[in-house]
Amino acid sequence: MSIDTTHPTHRIGAIQGSGPVVWERIEALLHRVIKPGRYVGGEYNSVHKAWDATDLHICLAFPDLYDLGMSNFALMILYDVLNRQPDLLAHRTYLPAPDMIAAMREAGLPLYALESYQPVSTFDILAISTAYEQLYANSLELMDLAGIPIRSANRDVTTPLVIGGGHGTFNPEPIADFFDVFVIGEAEDAILELTGTFQTTRHTSRDEQLRALAQIPGLYVPRFYTPVYAVGGGISDLTVADPALPTTIEKRLMPALPATPVAQLVPNVSTVHNRAIIEIHRGCTRGCRFCQAGAVTRPIRERPVDEIVASAEAVVQQTGYEELALLSLSSADHTGIDTLIRQLIDQFEGRHVSISLPSLHIDSFSVELAEMLSGGRHSGFTFAPEAGSDAMRHRINKDISTEALLSVAEEVFARGWRTIKLYFMIGLPAETDEDMEAIIELSHQVRQIGNRIGGRKAEVHVSVSTFVPKPDTVFQWEPLVDEETVERRQRILKQGIRGRGLKLSWNAYSATKLETLLTRGDRRLGALVERAWQLGARFDAWDEWCNQDAWNQAIAELPSEELRAAFPSARALLDHQLYRRRQPDERLPWDHLQTGVEKRFLLQDYRRSLSGELLTDCREECHACGILHHYRDLQTEEWRCPVLS
Amino acid sequence: MSSPVVMPTIAAGSGRHRITFATSRTLAYLSVLELGKVWERTLRRGGVPLKYSQGFNPRPRMHFAAPLPVGCGCSADLLDLSLDEPRTSKALCDAIAGVMPQNLVVLDIAPVDIHARSLSELLQEAEYSVWLQQTGEAELAETVAAFLKKDEILMPKRGRKYRGRFYDLRPLVKSLTLEPATPLPWLGLRVRVMARPGATGRPDELLRALGLADRPRRSTRTRLILDGEGPPPEAVADGD
Ligand code: SF4
Repeated sequence: MSIDTTHPTHRIGAIQGSGPVVWERIEALLHRVIKPGRYVGGEYNSVHKAWDATDLHICLAFPDLYDLGMSNFALMILYDVLNRQPDLLAHRTYLPAPDMIAAMREAGLPLYALESYQPVSTFDILAISTAYEQLYANSLELMDLAGIPIRSANRDVTTPLVIGGGHGTFNPEPIADFFDVFVIGEAEDAILELTGTFQTTRHTSRDEQLRALAQIPGLYVPRFYTPVYAVGGGISDLTVADPALPTTIEKRLMPALPATPVAQLVPNVSTVHNRAIIEIHRGCTRGCRFCQAGAVTRPIRERPVDEIVASAEAVVQQTGYEELALLSLSSADHTGIDTLIRQLIDQFEGRHVSISLPSLHIDSFSVELAEMLSGGRHSGFTFAPEAGSDAMRHRINKDISTEALLSVAEEVFARGWRTIKLYFMIGLPAETDEDMEAIIELSHQVRQIGNRIGGRKAEVHVSVSTFVPKPDTVFQWEPLVDEETVERRQRILKQGIRGRGLKLSWNAYSATKLETLLTRGDRRLGALVERAWQLGARFDAWDEWCNQDAWNQAIAELPSEELRAAFPSARALLDHQLYRRRQPDERLPWDHLQTGVEKRFLLQDYRRSLSGELLTDCREECHACGILHHYRDLQTEEWRCPVLS
Repeated sequence: MSSPVVMPTIAAGSGRHRITFATSRTLAYLSVLELGKVWERTLRRGGVPLKYSQGFNPRPRMHFAAPLPVGCGCSADLLDLSLDEPRTSKALCDAIAGVMPQNLVVLDIAPVDIHARSLSELLQEAEYSVWLQQTGEAELAETVAAFLKKDEILMPKRGRKYRGRFYDLRPLVKSLTLEPATPLPWLGLRVRVMARPGATGRPDELLRALGLADRPRRSTRTRLILDGEGPPPEAVADGD
């Protein structure tokens, strides 16, 4: 791997000191950048402990704009969990926008934490959110802007320990070279075990420290696990450096939901979701076969209604927020949701606090809930049928018939909503061009209902994304649909979904391809991620800043010996990582990291999918996915799995 | 801070109050909407019964005298707020004392007659101080002198719909002086500008006109001059 010496890493590294960055140096850049309030901190409820009075300093980082990162609830929970510990201090940082990055590099200003302006490189631990793939290149940029070597192998005890966490860690292999430790699964308890071991091992070498950390359940230290590749390009084995280490790492799971952070951070500048949050339940058992979030967050744990109501009052009092969002993967599935909503409406009556309920289902009950919360305002109502026909919805286990959907649409328009947003996916397994006709027809049917009830003002916004076969889902063996097919199907949709009251939006194939590569790839892709970043790839989630050319060039270069040895061409690399159906007995790059939902169960359900068979929500009947088998000892009253004798 | 002198009855207090406040550092980088949110949330934390407008999208009845430019703090700005239930100024002050965000300071709260003219109607002029880094003293003195000599300074209007159109900045600047030197490597300007609807001078526009728009700076609005208040004695006439 060649190092690009023109990159300004070296300058940043040279000016590190141990004290905080002086305010005047930050201030001197702020007149040049858009939305400078992102870079100054000062949020209400931010925690300002004395640096010298705390033993361990951890910096929580979201590697994209402040505007997005401030809305990340996982980091908010960890901020709370860590700062409750008297000997720990947790501060935050985010990746500045390109204008500020340029200004900081020019001025030789390293990335700093917002509470203290302490350079990120002076913290003991840097915890980066690896929630999704579009954050990967940004993570490298963030480390580099902090003056921290991006490769784990080039770091030692003089640099922060870099840890990653979030859903991306269920296959972190493409970024395994850059992180010292990944927390697999829920981090609320694991992070404190990690900081505890860090404190007792801080005077040893980094390697010894990592060995100690690797003993903690749920912590994955990639340097001790080396994939062995077979002749065809696949993975034949995984060698473990030390017999004392586990060969598989099981995700961490909280027996019950952690306490709601009450003194939530209140940003001064506008952010994407600028509101208070209460997580009402975690996990989802609807069993959509494409959905990774549902698969990796099992089992369902429900927060009791009384607890939510009490927290809601406390959060609003301590933040002053005018909106409270009830967070979960499927809000209406909470068994006490009806009582909960009624109580909250009563409680905040006349206080100008609105309640929002993201992730609703397509049923009358959800429409009623939304109506209760609307306060007479009917902006847009969202449906996610995902597929156009009943047959395809059976294949993906989305249990809603076209007939039922249309009658719910009727109810939505009748209650006064004027816009319905429809979310679909294309490129699903066994899909044909005829499935596009089903999407077109359904969109028109909904529009016609809207016109009949709401007149000319009724609108249907159709949003079409492309299916990504995610690790740990029933469809994890599926290939990514090819570009030509996607473009043809998008064309069919563009021709069919137009006219008054219909709007269509879709995803660029390049973004889907990149996401799939990074979500399914193996460790050899690390060289590619690094090269793409060197070539300028960052902000992959942003149309205005993403750099597709950098990725394309990095792929074309096959930027390591290992990649060139395994794949004769870039095409061969893509075919191997994206476009082939994986074999049921094949070793997948993420097989050693386990969610508790067994491969056996996923395969069974994959077969059900092929025959178009639905699988019921397991709150009605346990389907033995593996969760209870692996985590039975942790079961509490909050679980919705049956209690086994 | 005004405190109640007489009448400690339950209904004591007013339904409208004027807050004099200061912001600095972290709170100097907000838009006017964002600063409004900061206030709304502070008042909600304090349990202050703000009055809201009617309709589907109720807004709190809170009005600043004039928006602060992004990047500008203030040392005595004004905010009027209407309440659902009357409160004394002292009660208001106590309610928010423990829930203020960093770098927001209340200097005074006083009751206002509900029929009194609004702050934006009363506002005439505003005074700013701007401290610049990376600027030579002689350079600054020269630029300022040259600016004051001119009768007309045409600046492009902001916003797309005004593209290609200009306004005259010069009559909007009522005075412009150099601040006495400090030991820091900063040089200061003090400027008084008009602040009426359709005739508002902005400090960042002034810096553009002076050719100093690229200099690192710290800006503060130091005073709002309302109708009926005379200009302060020390600020008379340099620019006129
Ligand atoms: S163990 Fe059974 S009830 Fe629990 S999540 Fe798995 S299938 Fe559902």
